Amino acid sequence: MRPVSRIGSAGLAIYFWLFVVFLFAPLVILLIFSVNSSPTPTLPLAGFSTHWFHEAFSNTVLTNALVRSVFIALVAAVIATALGIMASLGLMALRGRSLSMALTLLLLPLVVPYICLAVGLLILVEVLGSGPSLIAVVLGHCVVVLPFAILVIMPRLRSLDPAMNEAALDLGASSFAALRLITLPLLAPALVSSGIICFVTSFDEFAIASFLAPSGQPTYPVFLYASARTPALLPEVIAVGALIIAGSVLLVVLAEGGRRWAERRLVGLTASQEAVLSTAAAEQQAVPVAMVND
Amino acid sequence: MALLGVPVVFIALFSVGLRSNIPGAPVAFSLSNWSNFLTGGGGAFRGRFVYSMEVTLAVSVLTTLAAYPLAYFLSFVARHRRYALLLLLLAPFFTSYLLRVIAWQIILNNNGVVNSLLWDLHLRPQGDGVSWLIYSTFSVALVLFYSWIPFVSLPIFVVLENMDHRLQEAAADLGASRMSTFWKVTLPLSLPGVIAGFVFVLIPTTGEFITPLLVGGPNNQLFGNSIQAFFSATPDWNYGSVLAVALIVVVVVLTLLFGRFLQTDLRAEARPEQ
Repeated sequence: MRPVSRIGSAGLAIYFWLFVVFLFAPLVILLIFSVNSSPTPTLPLAGFSTHWFHEAFSNTVLTNALVRSVFIALVAAVIATALGIMASLGLMALRGRSLSMALTLLLLPLVVPYICLAVGLLILVEVLGSGPSLIAVVLGHCVVVLPFAILVIMPRLRSLDPAMNEAALDLGASSFAALRLITLPLLAPALVSSGIICFVTSFDEFAIASFLAPSGQPTYPVFLYASARTPALLPEVIAVGALIIAGSVLLVVLAEGGRRWAERRLVGLTASQEAVLSTAAAEQQAVPVAMVND
Repeated sequence: MALLGVPVVFIALFSVGLRSNIPGAPVAFSLSNWSNFLTGGGGAFRGRFVYSMEVTLAVSVLTTLAAYPLAYFLSFVARHRRYALLLLLLAPFFTSYLLRVIAWQIILNNNGVVNSLLWDLHLRPQGDGVSWLIYSTFSVALVLFYSWIPFVSLPIFVVLENMDHRLQEAAADLGASRMSTFWKVTLPLSLPGVIAGFVFVLIPTTGEFITPLLVGGPNNQLFGNSIQAFFSATPDWNYGSVLAVALIVVVVVLTLLFGRFLQTDLRAEARPEQ
């Protein structure tokens, strides 16, 4: 007997596809209004126009905010991925209770609400006397994206055959050479995933940036938030938003496809549950699944 | 690590008055802000907290209930296309959170997509918008539901995938109908994934503040908004810190309470000896 009857299957399929429509409808609506010539996003549609794209890209406040966010996200992604490699290598050396504790500590930023972390960092920069700065935003983002880096890199590191590293050491490689020539190349797919996930998360992060970005230097989400409350700016924001939505959906599909392809090439891994798990890790605010005592 | 720990310590110091953001203000250990929040005149914030938890719980339950059939479809009906369809389900999740909330603002607005459709179809008199569509508990809950549902279906899907499908065959062989197989075998076995999904919404939603800012009215702000207000509009970092510490405590307690139910791969991998 099939686990689901024919009628049940059809019902579930309809339910699923209705949900896909529900999930994509707001995105499609943004895309539609991005090419609508009216200055207010209301029906009926006024006609096709690429006007808002031109407006958006001649608005230097907007483009500067975009560049700022890209830069912050790049730096945060590189730092967090590097720290993620180190943390994962360190975690490999631990077993049992100490491993659970270390994981709990490292994944803690996933549960602490961003708003609390943000106000805490604000207090910290004020106490240190440096005040809000873009460096503070980068550091704040490193804290929140590091767990994602670890969640992506660690499972991959665990799946590697330790014999390969041992073979390199036996053949006279220094431990650094073994890391550089054996471990890191094998980790490459996970490192790319980690970089992309950290980049996307940091690029989109609002809470921390809204408290730590200096007033004249908004990041893109901070600018976005301000313009959501300024009707005159809305069409431009929608235009850029439409581009970003299209870009990020494309990036995710490419990254996921590319990673599976690369991993299959490296160890003959099939599209397995691991892929699902690392997608899980990609989420903006996951719950540290390992953060339990027993 | 220090970057996480130090801010939390400072919030704690502020919450008991050992630090202040007002230069020259007296600095001394005091629990007055705490007692105000917990038992005294801070009833408005206690009320805000209760409202937040109600919204959060409602959203978590609804999201989990709605996500289960999605995961069930992927695992038992979609078969070989399931990873592609899963990605389809997750894709909106990777786009900017703020943009998605803004999109909902456009849809639900007083002269937004839904209302103008209703006017065009003559279902409502022109200019008369549905009042509860935006700036209401409904709009806040809807947007939170929308934001989290793809992510909640994920742990449920993982559990369904990992299930030993011979158990269902055995149940069927022994004469169980599809319904009783589902209620007596599949559903109980998938509970860890259901709880994981529930927690996946519960924890982040507890600290949510962006959605209520954009689609909530003054009465629909959540606890996170109270914290935010004390650090921006009306700076009283000491009182704000009390609220922040309270929120951290609640979230940590929730995580510890539900965390033990979370049995996922990473944890299994982390303990190879079992």
